[in-house]
Amino acid sequence: MNVSAVFSWLQRLRTWWVILKISLEERLVYRGDFMLGTLMRFLPIITQIFLWNAVFQAAGKSTIVGYQFRDVVAYYLLTMVSRAFSSMPGLASGIALQIRSGEVKKFLVQPVDMLTFLLAGRVAHKLAYYSVAVLPFALVFFVCRGYFNGVPPVDVLVAYVLALVMGFLLGFFLESCIGLIGFWFLEVSSLLFVYMLLSFFLSGHMFPLDLLPHPWNRVVDFLPLKYVAYFPAAVFLGKVPRELLWRELAIEAAWIVVFIVLGRLMWRAGVNRYSGYGG
Amino acid sequence: MPDEPIIEIRQLTKTYRVYQKPEGLWASVRGLVRRRYREVRAVRGIDLTVEKGEFVAFLGPNGAGKTTTLKLLSGVISPTSGTARVMGYIPWKRENAYRRRFALVMGQKNQLWWDLPAQESFRLHRHIYGLDEAAFESARDELTELLGVRHLLQQPVRELSLGERMKMELIAALLHRPEVLFLDEPTIGLDVVAQHNIQEFLREYQRSRGITILLTSHYMKDVSALCQRLVIIASGGIHYDGSLSGIIDTFSKHKIVTLLFAEGSFPHAAERVLAPYGEVKEVQPPRIKLRVERTKVAETLSALLARYSLDDVSVEDLPLEDVIAQVFEHVDHQEEARVG
Amino acid sequence: MANLWRVYLRVFLTFAANSLVRDMSFRANFLIQCISSTSWAVMNLGFYLIIFVHVDEIGPQTGWGKYEFFVFLGTTWIVNSLVQTLFMPNMHEFSELIRTGNLDFALLKPIDTQFLISFQRIEWSSLANALLGVVVVAVGMHQLMTRPEHPLPLSAVTIALYLFYILCGVTILYSLMISLASTSIWLGRNQTLYDFWFYITNFSRYPMEMYRHGWGVVLWGFFTFVVPVLLVINIPARVLARPLYPDPSVAWPLAAFTLVATVGSLIVSRAIFCRAIGSYRSASS
Repeated sequence: MNVSAVFSWLQRLRTWWVILKISLEERLVYRGDFMLGTLMRFLPIITQIFLWNAVFQAAGKSTIVGYQFRDVVAYYLLTMVSRAFSSMPGLASGIALQIRSGEVKKFLVQPVDMLTFLLAGRVAHKLAYYSVAVLPFALVFFVCRGYFNGVPPVDVLVAYVLALVMGFLLGFFLESCIGLIGFWFLEVSSLLFVYMLLSFFLSGHMFPLDLLPHPWNRVVDFLPLKYVAYFPAAVFLGKVPRELLWRELAIEAAWIVVFIVLGRLMWRAGVNRYSGYGG
Repeated sequence: MPDEPIIEIRQLTKTYRVYQKPEGLWASVRGLVRRRYREVRAVRGIDLTVEKGEFVAFLGPNGAGKTTTLKLLSGVISPTSGTARVMGYIPWKRENAYRRRFALVMGQKNQLWWDLPAQESFRLHRHIYGLDEAAFESARDELTELLGVRHLLQQPVRELSLGERMKMELIAALLHRPEVLFLDEPTIGLDVVAQHNIQEFLREYQRSRGITILLTSHYMKDVSALCQRLVIIASGGIHYDGSLSGIIDTFSKHKIVTLLFAEGSFPHAAERVLAPYGEVKEVQPPRIKLRVERTKVAETLSALLARYSLDDVSVEDLPLEDVIAQVFEHVDHQEEARVG
Repeated sequence: MANLWRVYLRVFLTFAANSLVRDMSFRANFLIQCISSTSWAVMNLGFYLIIFVHVDEIGPQTGWGKYEFFVFLGTTWIVNSLVQTLFMPNMHEFSELIRTGNLDFALLKPIDTQFLISFQRIEWSSLANALLGVVVVAVGMHQLMTRPEHPLPLSAVTIALYLFYILCGVTILYSLMISLASTSIWLGRNQTLYDFWFYITNFSRYPMEMYRHGWGVVLWGFFTFVVPVLLVINIPARVLARPLYPDPSVAWPLAAFTLVATVGSLIVSRAIFCRAIGSYRSASS
């Protein structure tokens, strides 16, 4: 590697560091917002606990589709972690906005790839957010430790961490594809809404996907959505058979590649279309 | 009581606490626990009396306290200390009886419904102020006629130009026929024509109705076109209160003397040669402008006439803008001296 | 007095008309909003249908069976959609007015400021959910009234009471909302306002017997007596669907207390609003 390449890498690293620092400061300055915000995220879990408690009591049996009451609670807590990694607030709408305002042009001129740039920013934001939010998370999990069956074995744990990181990547590339639709479609927000809706229901954010009656439980199995919320939680809870673990992760990786490639193609086609307008 | 002044302000003071955003990461962390505030004294013990039917201008640099004073008088905010009475009411009590009798127009804010025709906003005002149909319509027609915006009533406000929008804002504010009108930078950002139109309108309206107007502005044009009385506010205090011409007598220590030299008599190295007579402002042969102390004008002129052959001489006051800028600077220096 | 009412009614109607004109000039947007809010609701229904695949009742011996729960859910939508139609856009606008300093104009008007702030905008599109709610309530009630054993009776008085308690519920939620929104005068930018609103009202969306054991009692007490959001949907839904709990000895005191809570929260929120306006500083430009 020559000197200038090293220099440009350093430069990039520094930009990234600045983004990280600014995000952190932003987190800290609105103290009321931040503290309340992080803790309140867990409030809906409380009502879920009571709801499922009532459901299990009325069911008169200790398991529903293989879930005990405490599994369901643990599941909801774990989807919070999954979503912490995979949710991308403002990503798609931000991309669409940049396209509409013409701000994307700067990525045509500068030697930075937009998606890479956004990914770096996103990592920084997530790091900043959760380096502070880890405390409330830890607190909640400690308080709720009774709902868990201890720590899973090492290979499952490794798969879990992989599933989380890949969930982040999948979430990022999937949502950036939706944002890139903005090249063709002005009104991305309604589309995004449909996505959010489907994702809330079909990613397993709302309930363990195993509860879905046939044939729906098969349908969600073939969708990428389950990897952003359900899958990591299911891995942790041992709901995914050990022999299928690595196969599932491979499928997830394939989905990520699909969306990376799709994003590239869309970007190229979109940029062509853009410059075609001469705008 | 007819002799009672319409606006009376005594020792009015408004102090804000401003949160100081700490710089840097560690400071932000500490900001979680303890916040630091800075006190800003926006208005410092102002005294002012305005008689019915006066048109008074508040002049001052940004952040001088003009707008804060108007907001206090409109009852939008409450003072830290001091009193004010407008038409006998204490503004910040926000009595409906008071609110029916005055209006505030802010050039930088708009109150009309953005996506609807101004007409609809006016109708809303009618209901809020409980105006009867006939009074409302006659006021609206008169005002739209005077401002020449009748044809725009049906257009969504977002499609109007800035000047047209400002006119609509004025109409909305005047529909209930307020006796006291507060105008905060009503011509800000407008082009010269629109500015002129609004000035014309205000002058005409104020004269025919005999209402009392307090106006803040950056534009000397507004002030000199409209107001008999000028109040200079800077750093939260009043630094001048009087007529427009009086300000020159009070603050301007200099006059501008323009000399037109006769053919061939234009001095060599004029700048240096003429320096003893006054500050050379401009050299444009055969013309030279000098800034001369007021008290020495006669003396200087006779000396110059004795030495040079001049075709013409004129003596003028400094432009008003310059004088006022000097006043502001003066206040700033005082401020610094006090703080430092 | 009558005259005063007329002024307020007129102003309200003008607000409603203006909002409708405005909404209609963005018709596509209007339609999208209708569809999106109803689809959230339908999804929620889907969630409970899935639960009812696995159980017959929510909570043992509570009487919240599938169709009773339809009534409950429909009531949730009706109440929330009324709040969203009438107040949600206004509270958002209120924070915005504070931020931009445009609250000045509201303070100048010779009309109650809280009234002006609360009713300025009406989001007609949110009414779609109320319609959906009425349908779901009707379906649920029809099933309950035609079931073979113990068909549920329905009288005009019941319907009147139902509507009345819906009104109480809307009032309680409104009071909470304006209290929360008023805090943005002190706190400045307040993004968590909505989250907070959502999380608090989240507790109201479930039958209250869910909270009747363990440390749930604390929550039950808090959200009934301190921040009475638990009454908002439970009381009207109960009037109509008559689940098993609570028995009449508790039901009537609870219904009476709802009245007290409604008036109380209105008074408290008014006090908070007035204090907040007192410390308004008016952002310049």
